[in-house]
Amino acid sequence: MSVLHILSYLTLAVFVVLVILRMIRIGSAPVHLRWELYPIPHETGARAKYGGSKMEEVDFWTKEHKSNMIGELKVMLPEIFFLKGIWEYNRSLWTGSYPFHLGLYLIFINIALFIFAAILSFTGSQIGADQAGIGLWLYWATYVISWMATVIGTIGAARMLFLRIVDDGLAKYSTMSHYFNIILIGAFYFTGLMWVALDPNLVENILSFFIGMITFSAMADFPTIAYVHIYIGLFFAFYLPFTHMTHFFTKYFTYHKIRWDDSQVAPGSAIEKRLAEQLAQPVTWSASHIGADGTKSWLDLATWAPFSDKKEEKK
Amino acid sequence: MSDRIKVKDISKASDQMVQINLEDLPPLPAPYDKVENLPGFKRLTEQAKDKYDGSLDGVVAAGLPKPQSKEEEQELVDKFISGIKKLFSKNNNWGFWQPLVLSMEHCARCQTCNDDCPVYESSGHKEIYRPTYRAEILRKLYYKYVAKGTSIGKKFQHGDIEVNWTLISRLYELSYRCTLCRRCAQTCPIGVDNGLVTHELRKLFSMEMGIAPKELHEKGTVQQMVVGSSTGMNSLVVKDNIEFIDEDMTDRTGMEIKTPWDKVGADILLLHNAGEILAWPENPGAFAVIFEAAGLSWTMSSDMVGYDGVNYGLFYDDVQLARIAVQHFEIAKKLGVKKFIMGECGHESKALGVIADRIMAGGIPRESAMTILEEIVFSGKIKFDPSKNDFPVTLHDPCNLTRAMGIVEPQRRILRYLAPQFREMAPHGVRNYCCGGGSGFAIMNSNNFVDWRMHISGRKKFEQVLMAFKDEDPTANQPKYVCAPCSNCKGQMRDLFDFYGAKEKSGIHYGGLVELIVNAMVDIKEPFIDFDMM
Repeated sequence: MSVLHILSYLTLAVFVVLVILRMIRIGSAPVHLRWELYPIPHETGARAKYGGSKMEEVDFWTKEHKSNMIGELKVMLPEIFFLKGIWEYNRSLWTGSYPFHLGLYLIFINIALFIFAAILSFTGSQIGADQAGIGLWLYWATYVISWMATVIGTIGAARMLFLRIVDDGLAKYSTMSHYFNIILIGAFYFTGLMWVALDPNLVENILSFFIGMITFSAMADFPTIAYVHIYIGLFFAFYLPFTHMTHFFTKYFTYHKIRWDDSQVAPGSAIEKRLAEQLAQPVTWSASHIGADGTKSWLDLATWAPFSDKKEEKK
Repeated sequence: MSDRIKVKDISKASDQMVQINLEDLPPLPAPYDKVENLPGFKRLTEQAKDKYDGSLDGVVAAGLPKPQSKEEEQELVDKFISGIKKLFSKNNNWGFWQPLVLSMEHCARCQTCNDDCPVYESSGHKEIYRPTYRAEILRKLYYKYVAKGTSIGKKFQHGDIEVNWTLISRLYELSYRCTLCRRCAQTCPIGVDNGLVTHELRKLFSMEMGIAPKELHEKGTVQQMVVGSSTGMNSLVVKDNIEFIDEDMTDRTGMEIKTPWDKVGADILLLHNAGEILAWPENPGAFAVIFEAAGLSWTMSSDMVGYDGVNYGLFYDDVQLARIAVQHFEIAKKLGVKKFIMGECGHESKALGVIADRIMAGGIPRESAMTILEEIVFSGKIKFDPSKNDFPVTLHDPCNLTRAMGIVEPQRRILRYLAPQFREMAPHGVRNYCCGGGSGFAIMNSNNFVDWRMHISGRKKFEQVLMAFKDEDPTANQPKYVCAPCSNCKGQMRDLFDFYGAKEKSGIHYGGLVELIVNAMVDIKEPFIDFDMM
């Protein structure tokens, strides 16, 4: 097993574990107070468009309300695949951000295709320009996507770097890591582009990487630029879970679990029990009007008759 | 100067970070387009400067007195840092821990939200008013004092910030330069909520350091729990005032109006913002007329806090919010009503209708007045003549009713039916602009804050109002009505229109929704809305 094998497995493991841990940390957070923001796309009918809610109905709590999950997908899918929000509200940034992200999406599509091709090769099917049927189709699909991903991604990274430097608002709020991240991802794309441009056996070599990874077997001897590209990619995958770039999955929480969470607490529900536990937690806020002493709970403080001395004075 | 301001400058002592000059602000439509014809922007008095730190923008809204010694200064710094830690502790801040942490950890600093902020835009793009400015300060503090990681790693990813008295005093003021309208949060592609950040900063100052604007705390939530209402009205006074209003309504409508008090077993507990009773008595009066005409079973409560739906805790302090909400629920339970109807007040509706939902799980149901008014209007129980409202009408959408609750159409359906000249503002509905008085600003009048509220936070709304009536006779000869179904928004409208002389120059008036409904009632002979008296 080569160094490349070990580092690849290690990076994959670190990435998966850290993402799962982060998901658990956020997913197990206390039940928050309702803080929804309209429009909420799981509303049905016209309400989803104009931003209405079930609270527009008399005695709404006595009526059954259906939640339209298709409506949420109709918002989330264009948001994920086309960055619709940035397109609508920050067109200049979109010209960089979209190719920057699209490059990654295309790489993920290519990874899926190569894994499929690797599995296919175990059945004896060959992938190549000289093959027929699916072998030929996979060859050209992965080859074209390799070009597209690296060209589009490189352009996106260059544009993002340019905007981060020249746009006053972006520059003022950018830390060293913002530039580092863009340069890192830009280097990943650019070295990928070089590999695509210089390697006559590109598809065969990438396929060899995935077969090697799946079967723990030796990989082909790649051109030097390929190793540079892969090691940059591995470092990026290792580093990503430590950064704000985990928004690729935390968006589920910010949208679905906060912005669109309009659920009422049903008596006897699991949420009600969790809320009761949270209300029983001790509070340590220090301001005198809070009246916390480290032992009183939220419930104690919320039901405590405060300011009784002032009431006496008023009398 | 402001163009060069960076986040870390908040800690650097200087005379003033930003100077507001009227010439820098985006022009208003005619006849309000000449700076020389507009009211000026008052500068802080020397007395105020001695007492408070006005070095943020030359405005003092919240007013944190300067520390008198180095020890006092250090004590404030220590408390502030302990507050930062508690803000991110699950025990102390379970209610907002998840959305706050997500907002801290995932902002891409893309600045997409900035242009949606009416304050930032109306200030002529002053750096300190960017929605991201105060959020970035809190983010740096979060990574400095709370988040795990090496010091080098955290500085590399998020930079650093110096914590000192200058930062604390400016950040405190800055937490009162955002109306919590959350328009910025709607456009964030990641789902970060910079309005929430402001809310959480205010909580830190109040719940840990015990500092909050007196209008919200001493005269607000504390007075409400001590006297019964943030207006200062006790139970006897409120009943006396309502009796007077009932008599007035009886005279004006010819109907026998008598508000029921503490009626056990009534269907509805009507909960007004008590400010209406003092400032706009025709509003609770019109509610009584409509409810009586529709034959509803309803009551008001004369218990402490039970006649005032105000809950300023929503704006700055979760414990104060919970205390008032709990008392509201207890009163409804005692009366055995089937539901609350929350009067024309946006923040009351959000506090009791949405936020309290997870404080008093399974409590008495709460409903906005908009829905029941719509049901009444279209029920056929009352006859209407829409031609009685034949004057230009536009609708202001209170942020708490629309963006935060999704109550958008009931009030519009009423207006489309009862106001023949109804027209929308642009934008409207859930993409509305705040009136500029949100998050408690409408009642905050300290020092020169009113000028800031009129020239900056209310500017966009004033422009919207003018544009809604742009095709009408621009003079006061044609009265125009801005329907604002929210008490705080009406307070801001009153101040805005007085400040700019909009009534005299343009004939712009404001009022609630119920006044328009009563004005259109066939059985009421005299006009309920009298523009000469408004």
